[in-house]
Amino acid sequence: MEMLQKDMEKMAETAHPEIPVEFSALAGERIVIETTELDFYYSAESHALKKVNIRIPYRKVTAFIGPSGCGKSTLLRCFNRMNDLIPGSFLEGKVLIEGEDIYKNGIRLEELRKKVGMVFQKSNPFPMSVWENVAFGPRVNGITNKSELEEMVESSLKQADLWKEVKDRLQASALDLSGGQQQRLCIARTLANKPDIILMDEPASALDPISTGKIEETINELKEEYTIVIVTHNMQQAGRISDYTAFMMLGEMVEFDTTKKIFTNPREKMTEDYITGRFG
Amino acid sequence: MERRISYFKQKGDSYIFAASLGLVISLGMVAWIIFVILSRGLSFFWPGDTVLVKLHNDSAYLGEIWESKTVYRLDAEGDEHEEEQFQMKIGNRDLYGRDFIWLNRADVAQESSPPDAVTIERREYGKFFGFIRAVQIGEERFEQPGAVLFEKAREAHRQATATRGRIKDTQKKLNKLMQPLANLQREITLLQLSPEAKTEKGRQKLAELQKEAESREQSIADGYGILNQELERLTLQNRSIILTMATAEGAEKEIYFSEIVRFFRPNTMSGLAKAWLYAGKLWEFVADEPRESNTEGGVFPAIFGTVVMVLLMSIAVVPFGVMAAIYLNEYARQGAMIRFIRLSVNNLAGVPSIVFGVFGLGFFIYAVGGSIDQFFFSDKLPEPTFGTGGILWASFTLALLTLPVVVVATEEGLLAVPRANKEGALALGATRWQMIRKVVLPNALPGILTGLILAISRGAGEVAPLMITGVVKLAPTLAIDGSFPFLHLDRKFMHLGFHIYDVGFQSPNVEAAKPMVYTTALLLIVIVVLLNLVAIYFRNRLRKKYRGSTF
Repeated sequence: MEMLQKDMEKMAETAHPEIPVEFSALAGERIVIETTELDFYYSAESHALKKVNIRIPYRKVTAFIGPSGCGKSTLLRCFNRMNDLIPGSFLEGKVLIEGEDIYKNGIRLEELRKKVGMVFQKSNPFPMSVWENVAFGPRVNGITNKSELEEMVESSLKQADLWKEVKDRLQASALDLSGGQQQRLCIARTLANKPDIILMDEPASALDPISTGKIEETINELKEEYTIVIVTHNMQQAGRISDYTAFMMLGEMVEFDTTKKIFTNPREKMTEDYITGRFG
Repeated sequence: MERRISYFKQKGDSYIFAASLGLVISLGMVAWIIFVILSRGLSFFWPGDTVLVKLHNDSAYLGEIWESKTVYRLDAEGDEHEEEQFQMKIGNRDLYGRDFIWLNRADVAQESSPPDAVTIERREYGKFFGFIRAVQIGEERFEQPGAVLFEKAREAHRQATATRGRIKDTQKKLNKLMQPLANLQREITLLQLSPEAKTEKGRQKLAELQKEAESREQSIADGYGILNQELERLTLQNRSIILTMATAEGAEKEIYFSEIVRFFRPNTMSGLAKAWLYAGKLWEFVADEPRESNTEGGVFPAIFGTVVMVLLMSIAVVPFGVMAAIYLNEYARQGAMIRFIRLSVNNLAGVPSIVFGVFGLGFFIYAVGGSIDQFFFSDKLPEPTFGTGGILWASFTLALLTLPVVVVATEEGLLAVPRANKEGALALGATRWQMIRKVVLPNALPGILTGLILAISRGAGEVAPLMITGVVKLAPTLAIDGSFPFLHLDRKFMHLGFHIYDVGFQSPNVEAAKPMVYTTALLLIVIVVLLNLVAIYFRNRLRKKYRGSTF
């Protein structure tokens, strides 16, 4: 185990950090999120992201893969500033969304998070009814018109493929739904805010294969209208649903390319080792 | 052999035994105290049989036997003798000067339970034990002994009670008639005392007021005369309904029927009749006002005062405690300062309650109450309105006392709200406040209610701080009544805990009041349990709604 850790560190050191990660694969795509030289520290001693540069294309699914603790969730949480909640953490570098620096003064966090929705690893429905869960976002953002809310709830649930299953029990507690249904409810809840970007932090890792399949189906339908960034541990899942893939290790972005390229003919040896299961 | 000993040690059986012993002792003591309170408290109202005891020296006593004990005495030769003694409640305080007597079993010549012995509960002087000699209703007088006489006594009592009710009504009407005039006269007196009376304007005003008072006096003179006559007539009427009783030794005593609460012949009563009487007395205890410096009658004002005080305390303590906990937990930056504040709040729970009482007296009563009087009730000064002990200040003092409990319980409730739910709300674009209001607070409600339950349990039983912030032995009026503005927060009040102290240790007739102490204690426990059950009911309903959180 220790040996492996050392090997990995050695490999990271020799991974030619001076050579910039190639984004040539994105030619012709509109870029929605862009980071430049992003450094993130949980505390002064814990350097979680190191000079990360990444570009996320418009209305495509981008997957972050890499071993545990490589910083992919941290990077994801930089996009909607969820890391702000961690006391003592700080960030250097820039994150641009639609060309705007989201870490500059005067940014309203509520507006940002409404635009950049997030689905968490563990489904976290509120202890309210199904309807109230989906209407939560629009309501906190100031929509009070009942018929408008009804419409939003229905269309969000339909987009998340949950409408058929819950339309007769919208007033039942969300906690009565099954695990997979709860996670799709969380997706519907995010969609109700009409976001541009959806961040997904291992959305299916706590679910059984059938529920996972349904979630993947949903994601495939959603990418027609939304920019999706997904963190996953599951290599096959990344292969099935994503258009682009970024491989990260020890806080650094190692390789970014089309998913097809990464899984068939990666540029870096480290990427190949990880994908073929030699470590991680 | 050695192997077995070490295995015994490994299992730690001796420690398990010690732990279980501790639990058994604690539970046993709780069960014992509840048993004592229940048995003594509930048996107080059961009408006991009356016994007629005749001694060798020809004296006779009628009453209830309460206790017996064995004493050891040395006689002239230095031998030890066992002597059995028993305690009798002989009542008739106005004749004997005491309620209880200890008698030697050896002195008793004859003991019997006469069926015609009557127990009378009076409004003054306690119980009377004796035999009916005569009943007088106006001009009529009945003397022939037997069942008819007892029936006549019942009828006389009904009449006297009805008349008594009419007297009270008339008094009320009279008070209402006189009230405006009394207010006017008070105003005149105040004006005469003030420096304003020396000025020309003051004199003029005084003359005006006096004129008004005179005219008002004339206008109510007729009504006053009629009511007063009626009152005199009724009082006279009740003075003519008289019960003549004989004691065990034959002495006669006349008692006005209007002074009698109830009377009965316990020795001829069936179990059912006694149960009925018991229920009636229990109801009187809960619903009536106290008599005879609190040793008889009911405790309704004390129940009312306790409940109103606890409710006011809850209304005061919950918002403050919850707000403090939310700030400490959700907004404040965790650091040395917050740790220090948290430690201070926890230590506040260990401050002796009398210290809170003194603080309440100094801060709430003198500082806050005094200022309120200066600004809003200056016309009544120097007589204080809020600048003296009252139910509001007592409730606030107790709210301060129970604040740490609510803060700590609420903080635990807040901590138990899943982090995922908080993040979920923020990720949907909710502000911190929206997250707290819509996700955190509903989730933490069971924890807040736990705090309230603990606060009620602690607050309802406190006596020391109340004694200097507004509790009194006997409050003539309740904190809530029908006269404007209905809620009188400045009034002094009665409290069950203080009632126990007062009746048990401050009353002139401690021996007779002892059972009352147990009964009142029982009632206090019942009220605390009831208030807690209400809170627990709501907590369980909330828990069902927000299952997943553990508070």
